[in-house]
Amino acid sequence: MIDFSHVTKTFPTGEVVLDDVSFTVNPGEFVCITGKSGVGKTTLGRLLIRDLSPTKGTVKIDGEDLALMKTRDIPRLRRKIGFVFQDYKIILDKTVAENITYALEIAGYDSKKIPARIDQLLHLVDIPGKGDLFPSQLSGGELQRASIARAIAADPPILFADEPTGNLDKETSLEIFNLLKKINEAGTTVIMATHDVTIINFHHARHIHLEKGKIAFDRENVKSQNVEEEVKEQPSPKDDEVKIIHKKRKIKKIKK
Amino acid sequence: MQTAFKNIRRSPYQAISAIFVVSITMFIVAMFALVSVASQEILLTFETKPQIIAYLKDGHTPDQVNELLTQLSTTQGVKKAIYISKQDALELYKESVGNDPMLLGTVTDWGIVTADILPASVEITAQTPKSFNSISSVLERSEIVSTTPQGKKEIDFPQDVVAELTKWTNAIRVAGLIMVAALTLVSILTIVIIISMKISGRKLEITTLKLLGARNFYIIKPYIQESFLYGVSGALIGWLTAYIALLYSTPFLSPRIGTIITFPVPFIIMLILLGGMLTFSAALALVSGFFASTRFVKRSK
Repeated sequence: MIDFSHVTKTFPTGEVVLDDVSFTVNPGEFVCITGKSGVGKTTLGRLLIRDLSPTKGTVKIDGEDLALMKTRDIPRLRRKIGFVFQDYKIILDKTVAENITYALEIAGYDSKKIPARIDQLLHLVDIPGKGDLFPSQLSGGELQRASIARAIAADPPILFADEPTGNLDKETSLEIFNLLKKINEAGTTVIMATHDVTIINFHHARHIHLEKGKIAFDRENVKSQNVEEEVKEQPSPKDDEVKIIHKKRKIKKIKK
Repeated sequence: MQTAFKNIRRSPYQAISAIFVVSITMFIVAMFALVSVASQEILLTFETKPQIIAYLKDGHTPDQVNELLTQLSTTQGVKKAIYISKQDALELYKESVGNDPMLLGTVTDWGIVTADILPASVEITAQTPKSFNSISSVLERSEIVSTTPQGKKEIDFPQDVVAELTKWTNAIRVAGLIMVAALTLVSILTIVIIISMKISGRKLEITTLKLLGARNFYIIKPYIQESFLYGVSGALIGWLTAYIALLYSTPFLSPRIGTIITFPVPFIIMLILLGGMLTFSAALALVSGFFASTRFVKRSK
């Protein structure tokens, strides 16, 4: 179980990113954390892997207070949590297979079983046969899938996906979301941080929304019937921005 | 190891410069080791082989000689003590001038040098120069050891030669050690700089690996292996160069110090030297690689 208790995180600049945030995530749950950019979603992930320590409050995983954890035990903690990074953090001069191999080697996977496991993972994330390609040879969606494959390579009990659909089109975003759901159904606790609420609103998932570093709401969403069609029809935040810009230009023209 | 080889292939010039510096260091180490062992052998030969010669008065009796020899044989540090009679001295003289017909003629043709004019003596081989004093005191007390007109006993000591040799040997050792120490430092710094450059070029990769839960050792292992390869290659090249240089100079050295040191140097000695060099070089490289990579990995989150 993951337990954030009265967590406050203030950066050295004085900026309060998280302000008295408390919530728990039970094993096997699928939790979506939403909120605008800079609201503290990534910070939550970084607190979870002890890349940061809370200024106040505690973060516990299975009862273990991460702040009290010894530095030498941090790698063990990180091996328990698969992390899908917002910027992928795929090593560019390594092939997809080599990137996944790293995660497997770090987890102490039997080297003889690694090729078979990579094959299995590439099939799971739907990029079979792309193991020998370099990141520069992949599309954004494929890169994200490779990143997910690496994160779940060693079967971690927890998966934190930081903006996994951030740079993708709606269709690919939905596929990635469904992939995360599939991983969750296999028993992995999934925490997905995203600013894109359109996908989440039509799925059955726990939804924690952050505003100004605080939890605005924490509720269960109910999956609607024709999810995929509805998602495709929903305007993305980018489309909204474009419309606003057009409106502003029209107003300017009228004023002139 | 594959990653280490890949790292070397990616930046061959850095690898070549590291191996070159280590090779030079190892060549100097090899030469210094060989010169040290050789000078030690030469010194040892001079320390133990030169005999103390005590010249005896004419008219000494065999009993007196036996008494002196018994006294010397019970003295600590005496390896061997032998009596050289006047006749033996003449034979030795003949042997020593064997190649010079003029000097030999003084004995055979003209009869100028006879056994009578040569003094009998006692030749003592000491174990170490430290025992010279105790041997000297025995000889000083002996009545049959002849005395100069100034009242000094006629005893020849090889101390001066040994002292001079010791001085030179020590100077060679000090100079060699300073040179080896300086080159070792240069090698360490070169490896540290090269490994640091390589690691800093892979900062993002290291950060990612740490976030994936890699232990520090997993991250630094390829870099340590890489510096180990530099060390081993440097030792092999340095040893090979030194061996070739030694073989090349064998015709020059053999007639000069061939009686003290065996030429060509036995291969087993060279293998032992290689073992030592590999150990030294590997240790040097491992320390450098470990220092460079740990310093960087500890700093990165």
